[in-house]
Amino acid sequence: MSRILLVDDHAVLRAGLRLLLNSQPDLQVVGEAEDVRTALHQATVLQPDLILLDLSLTGGSGLAAIPSFQKAAPCARILVLTMHDDEGYVRQALATGAHGYVLKRAADTELIAAIRAVLRGELYIHPALTRQLLEGILPQPPSLSSWESLSDREREVLLLVARGYTAAEIANQLSLSPKTVETYRTRGMEKLGLRSRAALVQYALDHNLLIPN
Amino acid sequence: MNAKYAQHRLIIWFTRAWNVLGAVNIRAKILGIVLGLVVLMGVAATIEVRLLLERTLTSQIYERSVAVGRDLAARATDLVLMQDYYGLFRLLRDTQINNPDVRYAFIIDSEGTIVAHTFGRGFPVGLRDANTVTAQEHHRSILLTTDEGDIWDTAVPIFDGRAGIARVGLSLAAREQTVTAVTGQLLLTTFMVAAIGITAAAFLTWILTRPILQLVELTKAVAQGDFSQRARRWADDEIGALTDAFNAMSEALAQAERERHEREQMRTQYVAQIITAQEEERKRIARELHDSTSQALTSLLVGLRSLADRYRLPDLKQQVDDLRGIVGQVLNDLHVLARQLRPSVLDDLGLAAALQRYVADCRARSKLTIDLALIGLDNVRLMPVVETALYRIVQEALTNVIRHAHATTASVVIERRSDRIRAIIEDDGCGFDPDTTHGDGHLGLNGIRERAELLNGQLIIESAPGHGTTLYVEIPLPPTSEDCDEPHFTG
Repeated sequence: MSRILLVDDHAVLRAGLRLLLNSQPDLQVVGEAEDVRTALHQATVLQPDLILLDLSLTGGSGLAAIPSFQKAAPCARILVLTMHDDEGYVRQALATGAHGYVLKRAADTELIAAIRAVLRGELYIHPALTRQLLEGILPQPPSLSSWESLSDREREVLLLVARGYTAAEIANQLSLSPKTVETYRTRGMEKLGLRSRAALVQYALDHNLLIPN
Repeated sequence: MNAKYAQHRLIIWFTRAWNVLGAVNIRAKILGIVLGLVVLMGVAATIEVRLLLERTLTSQIYERSVAVGRDLAARATDLVLMQDYYGLFRLLRDTQINNPDVRYAFIIDSEGTIVAHTFGRGFPVGLRDANTVTAQEHHRSILLTTDEGDIWDTAVPIFDGRAGIARVGLSLAAREQTVTAVTGQLLLTTFMVAAIGITAAAFLTWILTRPILQLVELTKAVAQGDFSQRARRWADDEIGALTDAFNAMSEALAQAERERHEREQMRTQYVAQIITAQEEERKRIARELHDSTSQALTSLLVGLRSLADRYRLPDLKQQVDDLRGIVGQVLNDLHVLARQLRPSVLDDLGLAAALQRYVADCRARSKLTIDLALIGLDNVRLMPVVETALYRIVQEALTNVIRHAHATTASVVIERRSDRIRAIIEDDGCGFDPDTTHGDGHLGLNGIRERAELLNGQLIIESAPGHGTTLYVEIPLPPTSEDCDEPHFTG
């Protein structure tokens, strides 16, 4: 029997969750809290196996409180149950010590499975969020040519574009016509296989080209 | 035809002359007029005086020659009758000494012989017959032109012509001297008057042009937006009136400018208040949707699940599952609505996370490829107003791109430096002419500019039909910001 602490500022939802969880043979809700202070106190006293934590609470953010919960109940697993489906929340929750992240809109379908997974010691993340999280490690299309293969003018223009100068400013600075600047830029980006200014900026960042001079 | 042509030529010449004369400055114009008038007056007066003087002197000398001639004739009567030639000679000498103008005098007796004359060395040939007078005449004068100049020659009969004729010649040389002297005097006077006139005119033009030049300077200042300067009133004349009018105009302009500035400030404050109120309202509604409505729906979801678990009736389970589907959908819609109103991630996690999320949403609901690059925003929170403004600016810009640009690729770059933050939103769509398409149909751009300017920032638009559009938004950041780390450029 795993002991669960419910932390959510919505009383009706807590009641519903308690009903749902208590109906499971291996789960039992041992405490409830609606704000961070009460919740931390409960966690210290009850030392639950799992804390089901909402992120937006009255009297303080649940997100910021995750480390405090860890300190209050070191053995407890922390599962975030929230409305927020933004990658940023997931990252920060996991970075500060949460073991799982479930969206409230899946409370009826995935919550129980998530609780069991987290209790088993696994990390549970709502499937809709994993792609966002893993985007960074997905393979990037390789660039076609190297930076060094560009002409001097193309490199000059691309660097200024990446630094955020307007076309007029670049034309002025290099004493070229705006049309010529445009030509150098298009040609250089085509050689590097870049489709947009942001891609160029990212390329420049990745290749350490933006060190301020 | 010819007359018309001549008139045409005249107009052309007049225009040319005016082009030259009109371009000369006022000082030269007034000096020219004064000098011209003085010289003209001087020369005219000199000529007039010369003519008058010549006429007067000529008639004076004529009268004198008559008087001298008659006097000579009267006094010579006895001497001629007595044939006292020596006495006659002395009489002639005395006459010549008493009248320096008398060039010569001589007496002709009734036989026509010259009995006495004042010529030392021989009597000039032809002089005797040059003038004569009959016994009936009182006198006769003629003007002789000799190589010594003009001479009034007067012949007077002596003793009614019975004793001969007295002749005197009065030289007009004195007249010439007087006329020359007076002319010289007049010309000198003219020159002096001209000199005085030029000085006076120079002073006058200085007095006239000084306030005008000052007004020109002030007008330039007003043109450049400086309404603080006032023209000094030099004199109570037309220029003084102009100065007064100018000062009144400056004052009115300054007043209008102040009022415009005040109105602009009020408008800016008003817009800022509206924007703040709108954001607050959106935030409140989004919170409400998240915290109350969504929670209630989640409760419903959980309750339905419990219901289905507890009563394992097939009919009920199906219906409960349907209901759960509906609630789940409503919950989803509410969540999307709340995020569109105002994403909580913007308040909780900051601009970078909010933009990543927003761009991901845009990618999902349009066919547009959107690249996002964020520089110097890792673990950095900016002032909430700046974050909100930039988020809304990117939102507005990307909405424009999706709706109007017909682009295939868009990109968003946000770069934070120590003192400013720059957002560049670029697309490869149809573009437009920023000079002609100002405002109409591009209300989104006005909104972006408004938001940037409220934070002392600016919007630069680079676009051309067929060449895509780039928006550069730059917002200054306060030097003492509460950022937790320094921006880094190497990623």
